[in-house]
Amino acid sequence: MGQERFADIVERFTNGFAEARSGVSPEVVKRWQEELDRSVRRLRNLGVLLGAPGGPRTGVTPRAQVYQRNKSRLYRYESPRRYRTPLLFVPNLGISRPYIFDLLPGGSFIEHMTREGFDFFLLDWGVFGPEDDQLTLEECVTTILPRMVRKVQETSGQAELSILGYCMGAPLSASYLGWAVDPPVRNFIDMAGPIDFSKVGLFGLWLDRKYFDVDRFVDTLGTVPADMVRAGFKLLKPTMDLSTNLNLWWNLWNDRYVEGFTALNRWANEYVAFPGEFFRQWVRDYYQDNKLFRGELRLAGRPVKLGAITCPVFAVGAREDYIAPPACVAALIDAVSSREKEYVELPGGHISLIAGRGAAVHCWPRVSGWLAPRSV
Amino acid sequence: MTEPGPSQQIFELWKKGMEESAQAWGRLLGQSPAAPPDPTAFWRPLVDQWVQAWARMFAATPLTPDMAAQWKQFLDHSIDAWSRALGQAMNTDAFARLLGQYLDQWLAVYGPARKVADQQIESALQTLNMASRTQLTSVARQIVELEERVERVEDGVNAVLRKLDELGRLLARREPDARAVPGER
Repeated sequence: MGQERFADIVERFTNGFAEARSGVSPEVVKRWQEELDRSVRRLRNLGVLLGAPGGPRTGVTPRAQVYQRNKSRLYRYESPRRYRTPLLFVPNLGISRPYIFDLLPGGSFIEHMTREGFDFFLLDWGVFGPEDDQLTLEECVTTILPRMVRKVQETSGQAELSILGYCMGAPLSASYLGWAVDPPVRNFIDMAGPIDFSKVGLFGLWLDRKYFDVDRFVDTLGTVPADMVRAGFKLLKPTMDLSTNLNLWWNLWNDRYVEGFTALNRWANEYVAFPGEFFRQWVRDYYQDNKLFRGELRLAGRPVKLGAITCPVFAVGAREDYIAPPACVAALIDAVSSREKEYVELPGGHISLIAGRGAAVHCWPRVSGWLAPRSV
Repeated sequence: MTEPGPSQQIFELWKKGMEESAQAWGRLLGQSPAAPPDPTAFWRPLVDQWVQAWARMFAATPLTPDMAAQWKQFLDHSIDAWSRALGQAMNTDAFARLLGQYLDQWLAVYGPARKVADQQIESALQTLNMASRTQLTSVARQIVELEERVERVEDGVNAVLRKLDELGRLLARREPDARAVPGER
């Protein structure tokens, strides 16, 4: 090395480099260029993400508020209304906001249903505070839901409607259907809504009476705070944030992915508190005692019997759902007395069943396809 | 396949560490009365696949962007394996009991602490002649109750109106019959 001239080293280096370059296939060079381009776009989108974390506007399908009671609101969406029977969508109470169902244009369940021609009504339970601690599940099922049903009838001018319950909204709707005397409901759809709580997975185990004292919990906290709800859901899948961020980095070059991610991420981190008394009844009667499925539930002095449901029923479970595993959703089919009843298990998780690209392919057409001939 | 390089030796070390940690998980879960799952089953195929992927990548020259894809795939599989292992660990009575105990302890501390803090804030606001949180909540509750009562009255009026409407329709249907009967007979 000491004997060599610096110029020789440089020459050998450059010649060697040229030889090495000549060995590289153009395909590899092209791919490296693409990768470099992606990296630049990643950095650019990262800057956009950090600079404007708000993201795109969500819930843009045109709608009008037709009724409001305390925090709960009933919205009617614009649509060609090709089908006579209106559809009332009942989502979960607490936990999260319902704009996930109308996240972005082109990726919205509500947009799909309205485009198909359904007269679509959304019940937004609202965001609860300490003043709502006395709100009970009984009141939701026996007062708010019947009122919403009546408002849908009045607004649409139709005597009957269909109800689509998602997540917790499904057992709440099923409770209403099993409680009400001759409810004006023509069809009932349960999407990822647990019915048999003995098969409900991790939450069922953690909320077991042996380990979880719901009375002490509610008596101490009053409202179940949004942070507590978040902690519970994060614990269900502790690696979720890690994989979400890894996938974000991997797809950060893709503008459409980033747009979808920002909207979904904002929703996924916007947790909603539970009214204390609602939570107490929800955990005790549904999770711990499984009263709905066992036919032991009584609301406002009347029994709630799933066997009293006679309208056509469609239940949809998601294969990778760890919040409402398919078995606890499918249980609805054997519990009701309907002659027309069907259960389908689709790919996806609890959220991806109804939101996202997979849902647009697997789920939405199945739901609208089942409902359309029964809504004329 | 070529002789293992320094990077592969590091991976071997990593693999050994992972297997040991998986065994520790197994021991931990073994304390539960339920049959302990075997988390090592997750790691073995994963690590083997990963090592093979790296060996293939180092054997291939020159390096391509596939390296990043391999790395991403490895991370995906690792996270998935962790997720399943944690899922199994959390799906045991031992974990549920632990969680319940933790929550009980937290409530035992949080409950009295919150009570004291609320009292302090309340008295401070009272001294400043400002409305306390309890008072505001109470007013909000009263508004909600009032709204509910108005709603019930509205429901009642609507029910009466519906009945009147039905009665009106019934009478309108009977009226022509009633008028026609005496004249015709």
